[in-house]
Formats: sequence, C-alpha cells, structure tokens
Amino acid sequence: MAERYTSFEPGGRRWLWQRLTAAFLVVVLAFHFFLLHFVNHADEVTFALSQARMEQLTYFSLMILFLVTATFHGVNGVYNALVNQGLSGTRKTAVKAILGLASVLLIVQGVRTALAWAGGVPI
Amino acid sequence: MSQSYNRGLIEDFSRWREFSAGMWAWIFHKFTGWVLVGYLFTHIAVLSTALSGATAYTNTIQALESLLVVRILEVGLLAVAVFHILNGLRLLFVDLGVGLEAQDKSFYASLILTGVIVVASVPTFLSGVSL
Repeated sequence: MAERYTSFEPGGRRWLWQRLTAAFLVVVLAFHFFLLHFVNHADEVTFALSQARMEQLTYFSLMILFLVTATFHGVNGVYNALVNQGLSGTRKTAVKAILGLASVLLIVQGVRTALAWAGGVPI
Repeated sequence: MSQSYNRGLIEDFSRWREFSAGMWAWIFHKFTGWVLVGYLFTHIAVLSTALSGATAYTNTIQALESLLVVRILEVGLLAVAVFHILNGLRLLFVDLGVGLEAQDKSFYASLILTGVIVVASVPTFLSGVSL
C-alpha cells in the first residue's frame, strides 16, 4: 500500500498552490535577476530608474504578483518544513498565525514601496 | 489507508555520509529556500528606503552596491536562486511523472549548471565595485 511521503494535508490545496506559484516564480525570478543584474547593472541603480520601470502598469502589476506569490511560496515552504520536522498542536497554530501576520506585513510594505516608486497605481 | 511515513532515520543528519543524491537535493532545496525567504524580507526592508524619498533610496543602494562584500553576497544569492530554480524545475517534472528514474542525474545536472551560470556571472556581478 502506498505510503505518503509528504507532510501536506491530504486533499489540501496548499500543495497545489506551492507548485503553481513555483511554476510562475521560476520564470519571474529568472527575469528579475536578468533584468536587474545583466540588462541594468548594480552600480547604476537610482530611484529614477526604478521609478521609470514601476510607472508602467505591466511591470508594476507583474512585480506586485511577484511579491505576493514569492511571499506565499516562501512562507508556505517554511511552514511546511517546520510541520515536516514535527511541529504540531498549539505551537503549529501559533507558528501559522505568526507566519501569516509576517506575510501580510511584508506584502503591505512591498506594495507601499511600489506605490512610492510609481507615484500611485499607474493606470 | 494512507499513512504518514516515519522519515526519522532518513532525516538523521549525522548519517550524512550515507545520503543519496535525492537526499542531498532535498537538503539543498530546503537550505536554499530558507536563504531565499530570509533574503525576501531583507530585500523589501532595504527597498523600503524609497519611502523616505528618492535621495535616501539612491544613496542607500549605491552605498551598498559599492561594497565588495555585498557584491560577493549577491553572487552567493545568485547561486542559491539558480539552484533553487533548477532543482525546483526538476521537482515539478518529477511531480508530473517525468524523469523520476533519472532524478539523481537531473540533480547532478542542476548542480553543474548552477556552477557554470554562477561562474559566468561573476564578472557582471562585480562590475563597477570599488576595491
């Protein structure tokens, strides 16, 4: 009989979302590194250059989606790794709440920063 | 009935000499994942200087990027990200039922390709740094 080699809950959606965000992040993370290290160079970074990119709705929305998916994928990965190491009960609930709060704070701060560059939503 | 498999013995890291390719891939993927999520929070914190104005942001980034140690850490970040991407692709394919029989070879390929990409990127990552 097949044994389960995963700590994801049977029938849960977190496993699927971890894979879906992974497929998206593989492309966008590679693009992010390529654009910001090979097309633009580290010693040339200025607020104006970041602003010029963020003022384009396509780039702005891609970066917001990048922030949200990367946060979910990273935090969900941490949570799953901890569950995998035996986290359970009240501690599991507490860790889930703390990671959830950290995710919300990170996304809010990232969106505020993106809005500061773009001067508002670039519609 | 399905049941959780007790991986206690496999995950006893003191037995690292006995680990197979798949176990190393699992460890490297966890390690690079922890580094990347840690960096994500740091990255947003540094970029948040944009909230203090254009000058504060430009000065902060340019001061950091002028340091050799920051550029070396960025090369390390690239290595971590490239391996996580390549091994992640390997995992996605295995999840889809492709390449399970060659999962050890695809792990070695991920390592080699990571090394090649990182070494080839070093000149670009160190360009313009003050020594």
